[in-house]
Amino acid sequence: MEKKSKFKILLVDDEDVFREATARQLTVRGFIVLTAEGGEKALDLVKNEAPEVVVLDQEMPGMHGSETFLEIKKINPLIEVIMLTGNTSVDNAIELMQRGTFDYLMKPINIDDLLYKIEDAYTRKKLNEKQRQDTGL
Amino acid sequence: MLKKLAALSKKLLFRDQESSYPELESSEVEALRLTFKSRYHSFKLLLAANSRILEAMADMEKALQGNEPFSMSFVQTHCTSISVNVFRMINDMENIAPGKYTALRDRFVVIQRRIDALLGQKKQITDQRLVLPLEAVTSDMIDMVGGKMANLGDVKNRLHMNVPAGFVITAAAHEVFMSTDGLQKEIDRLFQVAGSDEDRNLDLVSSQIRQRIMSADVPESIYLAVVEAYTQMKQHNNGKETRMAVRSSAFGEDAQNSSFAGQYRSELNVGFSQFFFYYKQVMASKYSVQAIAYKLNRGFRDEDIAMCVGCLAMVDAVAGGVAYTCNPLNSRDDAIYINSTWGLPKAVVDGNDLCDLFVVSRDDALTILRREVREKGFQIVCYGDEGCIRTQTDYVQGSLPSLTDAQVQELADYAIRIEQYYETPQDIEWALDANGTISILQSRPLQQIESVLPEATLDIEPFESSLLAEGGITTSSGVACGTVFKVAKKVDILQFPEDAVLVVEQALPTWAPLVARASAVISEQGGFAGHLANVAREFGVPALFGVKGAMTLIDNDAQVTVAADLGRIYRGRIEPLLEWKRPEPKLMVGSPVYESLREVSRHIVPLHLLDPESRDFTPLNCTTFHDITRFIHEKSVLEMFSFGKEHSFSERSSKQLHYKVPMNWWILNLDDGFTHEIKGKYVKLEDIASIPMLAFWDGFAAIPWDGPPAMDGKGMTSIMFKSTMNPALVPGLRSKYADRNYFMVSKNYCTLSSRLGYHFSTMEAMVSERSTENYLGFKFKGGAADHDRCMGRLQFIKEILERYGFRAVVNADNLDSRMEGHDMEFMNSRLRILGYLTLHTRQLDMIMNNSALVAYYMTKLTKDIDSLLERQPAAQAGSE
Repeated sequence: MEKKSKFKILLVDDEDVFREATARQLTVRGFIVLTAEGGEKALDLVKNEAPEVVVLDQEMPGMHGSETFLEIKKINPLIEVIMLTGNTSVDNAIELMQRGTFDYLMKPINIDDLLYKIEDAYTRKKLNEKQRQDTGL
Repeated sequence: MLKKLAALSKKLLFRDQESSYPELESSEVEALRLTFKSRYHSFKLLLAANSRILEAMADMEKALQGNEPFSMSFVQTHCTSISVNVFRMINDMENIAPGKYTALRDRFVVIQRRIDALLGQKKQITDQRLVLPLEAVTSDMIDMVGGKMANLGDVKNRLHMNVPAGFVITAAAHEVFMSTDGLQKEIDRLFQVAGSDEDRNLDLVSSQIRQRIMSADVPESIYLAVVEAYTQMKQHNNGKETRMAVRSSAFGEDAQNSSFAGQYRSELNVGFSQFFFYYKQVMASKYSVQAIAYKLNRGFRDEDIAMCVGCLAMVDAVAGGVAYTCNPLNSRDDAIYINSTWGLPKAVVDGNDLCDLFVVSRDDALTILRREVREKGFQIVCYGDEGCIRTQTDYVQGSLPSLTDAQVQELADYAIRIEQYYETPQDIEWALDANGTISILQSRPLQQIESVLPEATLDIEPFESSLLAEGGITTSSGVACGTVFKVAKKVDILQFPEDAVLVVEQALPTWAPLVARASAVISEQGGFAGHLANVAREFGVPALFGVKGAMTLIDNDAQVTVAADLGRIYRGRIEPLLEWKRPEPKLMVGSPVYESLREVSRHIVPLHLLDPESRDFTPLNCTTFHDITRFIHEKSVLEMFSFGKEHSFSERSSKQLHYKVPMNWWILNLDDGFTHEIKGKYVKLEDIASIPMLAFWDGFAAIPWDGPPAMDGKGMTSIMFKSTMNPALVPGLRSKYADRNYFMVSKNYCTLSSRLGYHFSTMEAMVSERSTENYLGFKFKGGAADHDRCMGRLQFIKEILERYGFRAVVNADNLDSRMEGHDMEFMNSRLRILGYLTLHTRQLDMIMNNSALVAYYMTKLTKDIDSLLERQPAAQAGSE
């Protein structure tokens, strides 16, 4: 696969095996990957490392994915967040999309699908930033 | 869409666009570029979502054919994926045309609520009692105690036969157990994570779930209720400790068309100190590999199955077995078939040994018609205070009949009375204790399968030289052919190929998950009363048990034909026998999971918005998710096309294609579809950077069109009639209506609306490195000929498209075809075919009543296409 220009993404999931394996796959595809196993650490990284895109598991012990998402948006509304879920509830997915998640991916994920979503989310973020700049908002 | 697009573009194109647009400030131009770029990005996301929805709907339609098993997880995952992507399309549409289509959100909510209501349906448990004594149980309580115990309650309390004392831990207890500490939610999550790979990950999912259940604490309320029931049972036993048989009694178990035979756990001879451990084992067995596979293959919803647990005083049997109230392979034979062995009946139901067979007539004297007393080398007996063991049977005892004639007749009498009560043939498990008392342990509907071979008239002589093995007992009738796969260890289950012939040493229930995947089953041991035989009959899979030396006589990977009714196994494929092969049963059709999918798909799959020209083509008339996606797709293309005009922005207005001469093809660049920014009205082919458009054009321009096919008088009349109605359609007459074709392109995307003479077609393609997002769509309608011939042409094109891998359907007078998920090279080869067909199917409707000409054109077109696929694509389509 063609190497993509490097940008920073944050991967948040409490399942160690999934998180580490996915991080490795994304790193070899040219991304700078930060990882967090829970919501609190994710928020620290969003504040201090300014990732462009966050990939966030919904079902996490402690700070739930939905709550983490809302807190991330408070820190930076322009960050695009892709939710991962093993949960079948469509209500949650729609509600969070209404509140601005970029997209939803259901586990088990296909790594290429995740990669495409990350690239699309990044493009969307850059467009939104530019539009915001141009309109002076 | 086509007409509107044509009208819209006509306005755009037949005016001096460059001069009519006001001069824009550079900052305005920059803002418009950014807005368009943002909208185009949303358009791309919308197309990807549309593609995912169509793929998921195609999966659903395939599942609805009922040939392949699927789980509730499949239904839920597909529904969620479709909902999320439809919502995504609505969001993207909002970005493309802000505020214009807000009514779509309301329609989405209405449809989603209907789907949620269907998926959320679950049987409500009204009676909250956690434990019931068996004396209080009857079959009316099936939703409280499960099928097995409900049936047994009737035998005890309504037929007043000997049934051991006992109690049932109910469905209400199951709910309490599973809702404690979020156990059920965790199980649902594990299934969801396994997703569509559930089948492959079966072992892992099963073991994770069973571990969760085994490590859960039994809720106190259940514990106390069981202690109370056990104390009462002990009191009836003169205060002595009572050992128990702990047996599953799940919902759906022992029903008419689904036996769940041997899928769940039963534990025999359990003392109270170990009771709760085994109670959890039975609960966990709902998620054993074989039980999950069975539910998947038979379309049961996990949430519909409550695991009730029956606890019966253990019968320390001296003999036991199974009685059938008729021949399971021949319903005209209404004799009673009693299978019996020494010790506990477990040896018979596990199918792991030969047993005695007594066949009893229904006459008043209950005449014993047949006695087959076999050598019963071992028996299973209670082992002291805990569990059971397999022991050698004394040689003399082993060859004696395990029942006296009087006991055989007593049992036959019970069997007939039970069958009369249920009014359907029964499969009855029984035990005989040392006092000579017969107890009934289970009664369920008998699984029957009729023989299909006309044995009397069939001449088997010609293929007797291919005979590989013979003998044994026909346990499930039928004929099948397949490759042999021997299974000796549990781990072999994972390697078992689809449609192989399963060969095993013992007919154990452990192999049940393989039966649905096997074309036939052969076992060295076992009789027709075992669980595996039941499962084979239920799935309509031919089975031959007791074939001596099968594991050594038959080689792995050899192709064999199994004629179960003849008790013969042949080398290779014996066609005359396979003519009698039973059609595969559609086991999913009518099952709860199938019905769930059918119900929800009614709100997802049907397409009502067929005609974009119709006044009904509005958000308010979207009644399914397919309608919403169709509506959005149509409107998004129009919105993208009209952006340039609406914003007086020439950079995003269409250009006329200059290919040798100016042509009736107009092209709108969405993003990076041109090699550089084109000033003025025209764009040359060498300026096009769109990969799919170039591939399409390569096919379009590859082979010159011979002109219209020769027409007969009828064809000419038809043309003249249509031309009278619409003079602009006269062929050869250059008119502003004829031959209008519009492309919208970017580097990886292209859509084309074309009208060549009398037919309309649209093509849409996404072709990039992202193979999983690649797709081609091609629609075709219209023609100058009468309806029958127009339809003939649609079928003609459909046949060609299907030959080259497209999925195609003809709805009303539309052909709709699609393919997705291939790499760029393959997609481009198919685009060349579409380019070729767009040109060469012109006016072919005229000859569709002439079969010789149809055959000629089919040969010509496929030959042309094959030569097109063989040659290298033009490196630069515009260079020829």
